[in-house]
Amino acid sequence: MTTPIPLSIRDLKFRYEPAGPWTVEIAQLDVRAGEQVLLTGGSGSGKSTLLHLVSGLVDPAEGSVLIAGHNIHDLRGARRDLFRGRHVGVIFQTFNLLHGFSALENVMAAMMFGTIPRAEHAGRARRLLEHLGIERVDAPADRLSVGQQQRVAVARALACDPVLVLADEPTASLDPENSDAAIRLIQEACREKSAALVCVSHDPAMTERFERRVRLADLARPLG
Amino acid sequence: MTDWTIILRSMTSRLFSTLVTVLTVAIAVGLLVVLASMRDAGRRAFERGSGDMHLLVSADASPLVSVLNGVFYANAPRRPITWERYEQLVKGTPAEWAIPTQLGDSYMGLPVLATTPEFFTRFRPDAEHPWKAASGRFFDKPFEVVVGARAAKATGLRVGERVFLTHGIAQSRQAGDAGAPEAHVHYDFSYEVVGVLEPTGSSHDRAVFTDLASSWVIHAHDRRTRQDPAIKTTTEADLVAADRLITGVYLRLFTRPGSNTPANLPQVFDALRRDATLTVAQPKQEIDRLFVIVSDLNQIFLAIGACVLLASGVGIMLALYNSMESRRRQVAVLRVLGASKGRVFGLVLTESALIGVMGAIVGAGGAAIGARLVAAALKSRVGVVVTPDLSPTVVVVLLAGTVVLAALAGVVPAVMAYRTSVARNLRPIG
Repeated sequence: MTTPIPLSIRDLKFRYEPAGPWTVEIAQLDVRAGEQVLLTGGSGSGKSTLLHLVSGLVDPAEGSVLIAGHNIHDLRGARRDLFRGRHVGVIFQTFNLLHGFSALENVMAAMMFGTIPRAEHAGRARRLLEHLGIERVDAPADRLSVGQQQRVAVARALACDPVLVLADEPTASLDPENSDAAIRLIQEACREKSAALVCVSHDPAMTERFERRVRLADLARPLG
Repeated sequence: MTDWTIILRSMTSRLFSTLVTVLTVAIAVGLLVVLASMRDAGRRAFERGSGDMHLLVSADASPLVSVLNGVFYANAPRRPITWERYEQLVKGTPAEWAIPTQLGDSYMGLPVLATTPEFFTRFRPDAEHPWKAASGRFFDKPFEVVVGARAAKATGLRVGERVFLTHGIAQSRQAGDAGAPEAHVHYDFSYEVVGVLEPTGSSHDRAVFTDLASSWVIHAHDRRTRQDPAIKTTTEADLVAADRLITGVYLRLFTRPGSNTPANLPQVFDALRRDATLTVAQPKQEIDRLFVIVSDLNQIFLAIGACVLLASGVGIMLALYNSMESRRRQVAVLRVLGASKGRVFGLVLTESALIGVMGAIVGAGGAAIGARLVAAALKSRVGVVVTPDLSPTVVVVLLAGTVVLAALAGVVPAVMAYRTSVARNLRPIG
């Protein structure tokens, strides 16, 4: 029996207006376990919308998104939310850490919705943060440097051992030096956890870091 | 990290707003608790004045007026009862005791009750506590007075001082009302203060007590000097039947040990009422009737309290509604991390209910402590004994109602959280 691949997209179509143009149109996209894919495209090309579709935050007009073999859009309400929390990690451009919570609590917040026993939350979160170079784990997340906040965001995305990590323009708010360090960190962390990584970015400097690069516009027709 | 961590952190992150909202709820709950507890306390304070008497007999126009005059010293009764009728009444009534009282004079605007020494030895102003002298003793011969606790405080009278009584109870110049008509003061007879009473928490605390015989003598002297201005003095030997008047009789019937309710009360009550010249009142019943009359006022007070509570609920809603604007991103992040719409709805609703719980506890606790402080202050300053008491059922219903109201107040902000668009609120700022 073969293990389902982390992400499998088929004939996916989405548009904001019923009669408007397709914002996202993907014939087929598969991402295997541990694979790291860079999706590129200009502003308004639907990169972020694709991530919302993959994480089940919006529903497509057509097609399917299978995560670890489950069509996330077949799941309804709280079941879909729990599924997302347990199988998908998300890293945002502006980190979106929880304001007023410590670095440790931000990581533990992700575990609240996973399957990890509660008694293990603090220890696991602490180890993960320390592994990623955060020493002041109890410091308020918003008082950490930008680089450290990025690390906390990565730790949070990986907290529940997801099969898939989605990174939405993770370097857009960083300078080139930090940008390189950040993407290296995300890639290494995903590799260590054997999580597939789908990173969307319009940053040309990112292309060198990914072996598999896909232009979103090319996904509209079947890949050869 | 649990849902409670998120809720408490949300509350502490806007501490001032949370505290003000909790305080608003606490004030509303406290107000309702005080109103509810004082309603019963007020009734008990009124009942205390009638003490352990079962019936009050007078010649007043109605039983309620009889109680207001005879127990609460509202006015001097206009129609007297003769001593002869009193003696008949005592002879024909199976009473444990029957104490005659006479109202009509005053000292510095305070009522003077003329009675017999049994007033202090048999009658108890508070069914469970007998009279006690704070200083001196009770009177035991004519022309002695005993001063109630509040009356002593108001007049500054002490044991050993001598006083002259004024005819009538209305405001007089003696009481400091310069505009009042000149009252007749019984200057021919002075009384010696022989005792000051301890507070009883009843209406009797603002009265001055003297013996019945001397009261008859000073009024007989007025009658006699009107007839013959040359008369210099009057004694008990000069009294005629028309001088021996009383205005009320405190009656206690026989009861079984451990019971305060006499089995023959209805029969005695009916028998006394057959005499159309008498008014017979059951003080407790009349006080209940009085409270029925003023119960509308209580309802208004309670309605005001409920409105304040409702306003505090609106306060909770506004506080959470305003906070939701800045919490949309947090909600969106929690949703991405795996929180369902229902769970974020529950988080906000729980936070709202928690504000209600905190407000209810602070309010009820504050009211309980405050009511006792106020009761202590009332007793020490004005001698009014009010014992705040509230049934646990009322407290539980009130607290549960507050929490439900608070939770309801959280519905609108919780719906906002429920409907928060994740995609829209995760966009980069700026």
